[in-house]
Amino acid sequence: MLEIARVTLQNEMDLILANRRAMCLAELAGLSIGAQTTFATAVSEISRNSIEKGKNGCLLLGVADIKKKDKFIVAEIKDETSSVPSMEGLEYAKKLAHKFSISNTGSETSVELQFFIPSSHKLTHAQVDTWKGHFKNEPPISPYEEIKRKNEQLQVVASKLLESESQYKTLTNSLPIIIFSLNINGDVIYANDWFTSFTRVSLEDLNLSKWKNIVHNDDYAEFSILFNEKIVSDASVIKTQCRLRNAESGEYLWHLVSLSPVKDERDNILYWIGFLVDINAQKLVEKTLNDNRNLEEAQTQLKKKEQGLQADINELNRSNTELSQFAFVASHDLQEPLRKIILYSDYLLNKYIDKVDKKGKTYLKNMIDASHRMRNLIEDILSFSEVNNKKLDLKPIDLNEVAKECLQDMEVLILEKRARISIKELPVIEADMALIRQLFINVISNALKYSKDKTPAKVSISSKKCGNGEVAIYFKDNGIGFEEKYLDKIFTLFQRLHGNQSYKGTGLGLAICKKIVQLHNGKIEAKSELDKGATFIVTIPTKYKAIS
Amino acid sequence: MVDDDLEELTLIEEALLDAGQTVHYEENGIEALNYLETCEQLPSLIVLDLNMPKLNGTETLMQLKSNDRYKNIIVVIYSTSVNAMEKEKCMNLGAHSYIAKPLSYADTLSTAKYFSELCALKEM
Repeated sequence: MLEIARVTLQNEMDLILANRRAMCLAELAGLSIGAQTTFATAVSEISRNSIEKGKNGCLLLGVADIKKKDKFIVAEIKDETSSVPSMEGLEYAKKLAHKFSISNTGSETSVELQFFIPSSHKLTHAQVDTWKGHFKNEPPISPYEEIKRKNEQLQVVASKLLESESQYKTLTNSLPIIIFSLNINGDVIYANDWFTSFTRVSLEDLNLSKWKNIVHNDDYAEFSILFNEKIVSDASVIKTQCRLRNAESGEYLWHLVSLSPVKDERDNILYWIGFLVDINAQKLVEKTLNDNRNLEEAQTQLKKKEQGLQADINELNRSNTELSQFAFVASHDLQEPLRKIILYSDYLLNKYIDKVDKKGKTYLKNMIDASHRMRNLIEDILSFSEVNNKKLDLKPIDLNEVAKECLQDMEVLILEKRARISIKELPVIEADMALIRQLFINVISNALKYSKDKTPAKVSISSKKCGNGEVAIYFKDNGIGFEEKYLDKIFTLFQRLHGNQSYKGTGLGLAICKKIVQLHNGKIEAKSELDKGATFIVTIPTKYKAIS
Repeated sequence: MVDDDLEELTLIEEALLDAGQTVHYEENGIEALNYLETCEQLPSLIVLDLNMPKLNGTETLMQLKSNDRYKNIIVVIYSTSVNAMEKEKCMNLGAHSYIAKPLSYADTLSTAKYFSELCALKEM
């Protein structure tokens, strides 16, 4: 059947409408006035039946298949009653119609009446459309019909809306993103299936926890800004990123959060729609790239360090060269005059013994002693350049003796500095005598060299057992001290904290100390504060232990 | 005696003279070689310092030993410090001995005595 008009059958008013429309169709189809009345009567009979006894009845008016030779107008009355009621109206209508059929599907009953169109005029689709238009455009016969028409139009729109909504729902549910909407209080009023399958959290729980149960703790503060109406109400789209807990794996995956307000024509926010897209892979790539960048940076840093190291090596080689040059100068230019001093002193002591008194002889002897020690010292400095190959002459040595000898050597300096040097009980250690003496001289002379101008220098030498077979020897002075940030420098070869004009020196003294202590598998440290003196601490094993 | 430091001569000359030796002094290798050319009678002993300007001890030693006329003269290397490597080098070049310059009066006397003995050795 090609439908031309329809009437829902709910009340007596509809019955009038049904009758009127049936009449109208019959008239359009060119039926005689009698036939028109018959058709309308038959339709009315069944319609009444449906209104009185059926449920959600509806009358459809139209024409039967127009390709066939015989043409009929059709009225179909459907309703939702399950059984075919036997009634007078039906029997009557049956008699009036040219064709009559009744069917029942169990949930729907349909009665169809067909009336023959006698005139031979051609019935085309265009003709049917014209008739359709006629019904649509025909002015309403009553206020009731007008309301009913509007109502019908609304019903159509509503069903279309319903259809489109369901389409959207299907669409949103099939998308691999979470789509949701919020009311103006920030409560979730809708979320698609993806949300549920991803989080396995009900909207109720979600709203109760304010999303806390799925958003990563570290990201929550930023995420919750989305719900701060004051901040977001002016924005058109708000985006942020956060990690959401995946219920299946328990993992938190990175998502992009986007929220847009839906506003009415007065710019009032009605609700919000938002989506959450999984950007974990992107984040992972980003992180990997970043890690790569960091790695590259580390590599660059490493390269820089390597270059620094190379510079250090070059610097070390340079100072080694300088040292060997110094050693050369020391060997040939210092040794020679020193030998003369020793030799002439000895000549005086032998060839001119009669002309020197007792005191003079003592002085000469002291001079020879000191010169010899100086000679040893020069030789030790010479050997410093070969110090790594140096074979230690290990003997038990009494540090008290060593200290006393050193003080003798340094008599002139001590007098000059008006220095008081105290020695508290020192241990006997197994070490190289010459080197340890050099160590003491260097540390003490260093302390005296950097004494304060107007204060008499004081150096106290003491020791303390460390318990692990090592002994710490303290050289505490009251000199000018130094800033501890220069600690590394002071033990470095040829590195000096002061210019040659204020304090003379070669920059070798403490470097030699460090080397000597290292050779004995000990360590040398210093503690100091500017202007408050310094303490040099030599920690050394009492019994030499070879380190493989 | 070949040494750029004349003091070295003064220090030992007296002892050598006492031992009956005559000493001729030159202050570097070139002067020494020049002197040798003018000598009708070659010296019994050459005492050679190592550190000298113009022609140093080892270079002088090499020239002496490569000269047929001079190669049999006894050469003693006379140095401030005894360096094992340098000593070995000089001995290989044909030095008779390598001794350290004296550090005391007694050393000086025994060194003079040693030189004197070497001269006698040659004369025998």
